[in-house]
Amino acid sequence: MPSERLLPRLFLILLVAVLALAGWQWRHGAPLSANLMELVPGSTPDALELQAEQRVQEPLNREMLVLVGHADRQQAVAVAQQLGERWQASGLFEKVQWNLQADLPALREQLLRGRLAMLSAKDREQLIEHPDAFIQQRVQSLFDPFTGFSLVPSQEDWLGLTGRIQNSQPQRGAVQLDIGSGALIADADGKSWVLLRARTTGNAFDMKLPLQVADLLQASRAQAGQQGAQLLAASGLLYAANGQRQATREITWVGGGATVGILLLLLLAFRRWRVLLAFVPVLVGMLFGAVACVALFGRMHVMTLVLGSSLIGVAVDYPLHYLTKSWSLKPWRSWPALRLTLPGLSLSLATSCIGYLALAWTPFPALTQIAVFSAAGLVGAYLCAVCLLPALLKGVELRPAHWPLRIAECLWLLREALLKRVPSPVLLALVLLFCAGGLWQLNSKNDIRQWIGAPPQLLQEAQAVARITGFQPTSQFFLVRAENQQQLLERQRALSQRLDQLVNMDKLQGYLALNQLVNLPAEQQQLREALNALAQHWQPLLDLGVPASALQAEVAHLQALPTEDIDSALTGPLAEPWRTLWLGPVDGGVAAMVSLQGLNNPALLRVQAVDLPGVQLVDRLGDLNRVFADTQVSAAELKLMSCVLIVLLLILPFGFGGALRIVALPLLAALCSLASLGWLGQPLTLFSLFGLLLVTAISVDYAILMREQIGGAAVSLLGTLLAALTTWLSFGLLAVSSTPAVSNFGLSVSLGLAFSFMLAPWASQRKYA
Amino acid sequence: MRSPVGAGLLAKVVNDIAGYLTRCGALKSFASKPAPTVIGFMLLLSVSGTACAFDLQQLSDQLAKPSVIHGSFIQEKHLRALPQPLVSQGSFVLAKNHGLLWLLKTPLQQDYRISAQGIARRDANGWQLLPNKSAGAEQNRLFLAVLQGDSSGLQRDFELQLQGEATQWKLTLIPRSMLLKQVFNQINIDGGALVHTIELLETQGDSTLLRLQGSAADQPLSEAEQHDFAQ
Repeated sequence: MPSERLLPRLFLILLVAVLALAGWQWRHGAPLSANLMELVPGSTPDALELQAEQRVQEPLNREMLVLVGHADRQQAVAVAQQLGERWQASGLFEKVQWNLQADLPALREQLLRGRLAMLSAKDREQLIEHPDAFIQQRVQSLFDPFTGFSLVPSQEDWLGLTGRIQNSQPQRGAVQLDIGSGALIADADGKSWVLLRARTTGNAFDMKLPLQVADLLQASRAQAGQQGAQLLAASGLLYAANGQRQATREITWVGGGATVGILLLLLLAFRRWRVLLAFVPVLVGMLFGAVACVALFGRMHVMTLVLGSSLIGVAVDYPLHYLTKSWSLKPWRSWPALRLTLPGLSLSLATSCIGYLALAWTPFPALTQIAVFSAAGLVGAYLCAVCLLPALLKGVELRPAHWPLRIAECLWLLREALLKRVPSPVLLALVLLFCAGGLWQLNSKNDIRQWIGAPPQLLQEAQAVARITGFQPTSQFFLVRAENQQQLLERQRALSQRLDQLVNMDKLQGYLALNQLVNLPAEQQQLREALNALAQHWQPLLDLGVPASALQAEVAHLQALPTEDIDSALTGPLAEPWRTLWLGPVDGGVAAMVSLQGLNNPALLRVQAVDLPGVQLVDRLGDLNRVFADTQVSAAELKLMSCVLIVLLLILPFGFGGALRIVALPLLAALCSLASLGWLGQPLTLFSLFGLLLVTAISVDYAILMREQIGGAAVSLLGTLLAALTTWLSFGLLAVSSTPAVSNFGLSVSLGLAFSFMLAPWASQRKYA
Repeated sequence: MRSPVGAGLLAKVVNDIAGYLTRCGALKSFASKPAPTVIGFMLLLSVSGTACAFDLQQLSDQLAKPSVIHGSFIQEKHLRALPQPLVSQGSFVLAKNHGLLWLLKTPLQQDYRISAQGIARRDANGWQLLPNKSAGAEQNRLFLAVLQGDSSGLQRDFELQLQGEATQWKLTLIPRSMLLKQVFNQINIDGGALVHTIELLETQGDSTLLRLQGSAADQPLSEAEQHDFAQ
């Protein structure tokens, strides 16, 4: 037939074109991404919120925090210094900082300039309400040998405002400055911990950098260990490195395991080397999937690759469709066998694609990518199996082993024997009872943490760093919007008052807000006015010999200080912690963040923003968890919709009753899997639901195989068994993944496949009825 | 691939430490540290020595011996802008196992105590630990180490130059770190049988001269003093 010569050529042309496209896509290296945030739902429609979040995320993707611990403080500093020098020389870091060299002139300048703007509420109140006490304290501090040295000399600040500002700076955490070395040191667990900060040249989503940084850390850890020092490190880079290693490991295990298993199965069953060519459609499928993914999304996520590697098991089903006919077709010839199975093959492709593409409509970019990858991959594998493979297998005479068929026959006989004793309706009732019991025990659980398979060691270290440094940051923050700066500071102050209460109640460790850095213009004005009256109270200072003219000059100078706004307050070195909080002018107004520390009850936060205009809590984790829960419902709806679609598709070949039966079986299988999760005590997660969504689509294929019964019941059962086995080999292996989300997915697909296989024979039940 | 969420908190750690600590927290301990350390050290030196040629180690060894020292002080603060120095007077008690009592008498009365718990000031309600200093455990530990004759802490922060002999010597402290150099030019301590003067020269042009008189190492702690340390 001409098509037998034309099809392979056409397909080869297509393949070359796709290969060329792939080559072009990879011209700048692998278009891979490891950024988890690309995979979770983008539930932030607000550009400002997004900007604020990026501001919060940025340093974590670039910075690493290391504590160098040693029982001897000097040793700790020495090791930190060596480490800092070695890391700086490594070329991986833009900046490695282990000691502090403060720019004192700049600090002095800022303190002097901000005397009215930065004076704390308490000091302000004392100056205005109790000027006598204010002056008295100033006199005391001039004689106090233990107040230390003010950064600003007395004659430039007779009233001591800069000293008060210095002392009212929020100090949290347990890290102290070692005055000699300039190192920042915390004491805990009988050791001195020197703080080292390293900022990398690239970010965590660079594919190479995190691994290099993690390796460097490992080597440094060993080196420090020889010197008796311990390293604790915390960084988003380490999570990225770990995630990347894990993904590589899992792709190797899942992909490799499935490949080896399937090849072995093919060899054992068909006893011909050339049958290994059945793997060509799988490779072509992976290629199509990857190309489609990069074409649509710009790049491919490593998680897509992990989950996508399970596609191997599904793609190999297409060649199996006609290869298994070798048990009944004698002699077996590739093209005739294909023609015989083509309708089933095409239906199978259509139903699987419907199943996968249903995933694409969930709000998870991760699943959209996987859906596109898989659907494109299946189309590629199908085309290859239909157009190319028969040509490659032309002339091969398959004489398959007899044992698989015997197993299938045994199974079939067993089933017949069972049905003789227990009729189908009773079995159905028993299955439904099993389902009811299992569903009763099923728990639902959804948490963003299911995406994170971080090893406990990384988490423990991060917690240790937080404990030793005394910093317990929270991922939530407040976003405050206003029409202008004045209103913004007022709104922040209203929020601060509420947060202060939480701090006093020990519900919150602390917070950072711009109103801590700069006073309202009205407050600065109040201070100016209060200074007018100060001359009546400064006699004690005159008694010490301070010239009245100096004091008058100072008051005049203070009153002439320009009113500071947020922008000018943020220019000095003291403002560094606040700088990231200021989002500046946006949408005809201004906005800023308020960051939080040491929160132990997130529910309390939401209440704080109530009734405060322009104040909004941004709680990405909480929002994500809500999206998870909401998605569970929409996933169930999608599942039903995909079933309806499949029924519509199957009405044509099988009639309405047949189509309904073919779809009912996978649904029952899904129900059984759900019940099994309940019986096993496993929670139902969004991912297990997605798994079931998928398995429904795949197992429709088995029902079709069993219903068509080309070549007899036992041969069809064998075909189904092989298809289920290969699919299970790839999906089942996902269950070993250390990412809870992936392993949940694998587990539910495995269960679904097992039940689908067991229930598939009932697709042809009508013949027995 | 799983970094951002798990490490969300890390971002904050990095952020906070970057900003907060390096600037604010550290700034405070920085500002308050050298004074007590230097005072502690110079008081340690107020012991009569008899050896002809002595080095820092010998000095330290000697300093570690006496358990209680009583004396009085006059502090002169020379501010660039004032024609007259700010003069204050008082007495002190240094007890090896307890700490230091610093009793300012004129022109205003104020008692201070430095002990393992930190720096305390006496008000109408008794001793009050100064806020913000309680976290400065490192500072106090260093100070107490100095009290016990361990000068290694100071040697790390300052270059120590000892001239003269046990009965007539001069110790110069020159800051080593960039940070300290921005505050002090140097610290001079003159002594004979006792420490006579301590002079702190600040880079901004101000200086503090502390004169110690009648330091005596032969009196035990009075009951009132024991009571003060006990609280």
